[in-house]
Amino acid sequence: MFCSQCGANNPDNAQVCGQCGKQLQPAAPGAPLQATGTVLPPGMTVQNYLVFAILTTIFCCLPAGIVAIVYAAQVNGKLQMGDLAGAQQASKNAKMWSLISLGVALGGMLLYFLLIMAGVMGGMFHH
Amino acid sequence: MRNTHWRWLKLGLFTAGGIAVAMLFVFDPATSGAFPPCPFRYLTGWYCPGCGSLRAMHQLLHGNLHAAWAMNPLMVIFLPFVAYGLASRALFEVSGRELPRFFIPASCIRALCVIVILFAIARNLPLYPFNLLAPGAMLRP
Repeated sequence: MFCSQCGANNPDNAQVCGQCGKQLQPAAPGAPLQATGTVLPPGMTVQNYLVFAILTTIFCCLPAGIVAIVYAAQVNGKLQMGDLAGAQQASKNAKMWSLISLGVALGGMLLYFLLIMAGVMGGMFHH
Repeated sequence: MRNTHWRWLKLGLFTAGGIAVAMLFVFDPATSGAFPPCPFRYLTGWYCPGCGSLRAMHQLLHGNLHAAWAMNPLMVIFLPFVAYGLASRALFEVSGRELPRFFIPASCIRALCVIVILFAIARNLPLYPFNLLAPGAMLRP
């Protein structure tokens, strides 16, 4: 079937377009979809959080960001294979690891400022 | 309820990002000390893949592409894509519409992962030409 968004030709049993990831409509109205997972509303794609993952990898300097990128790749890989449920699971993991990376970075910054404050206070008491 | 919290968190992050960009324009992270050092470098003494990206962004905001490239070439390459993604996201939060979305094949994302890791290793090697990737190394005579 042809994708309504980018026009790529996809296998008839594909749930999402292999070219652009758009949810494919059933060929005939009311035709049953392959029941491999939950069906998204038309026009919705599975978010892979790639930008978030790259940002936290670069700015938070953390292996957690790399894990998030790996899961982002998994989202798109599973979409390409038509595994919608798997893509949604990977999407959740990508989001979680990006948030972990962000959280650790924010925590680290807080700790850094607390240490500076402690240093300043310590210096004041010392004199 | 949860959705409202997310909205506030996102709004907070975007506002913090805006303030950070304004501060980056005014202060040069290389000389001013207004920005904290990279915690990874502070703790280990090694450069992380993001080291130099604040200095690179300061240079970019002042139009110095060459100086920005010398600070962190990877970040200069990624920035247009990240900026597009963030702009799309911000537009979505405000108006509920997005910029056109591009599907990146899984193999490209995995390659990107490998590139980031190789870049992190290469810029720490004390060997020419890899050591040129360390922040600012290309600017030294």
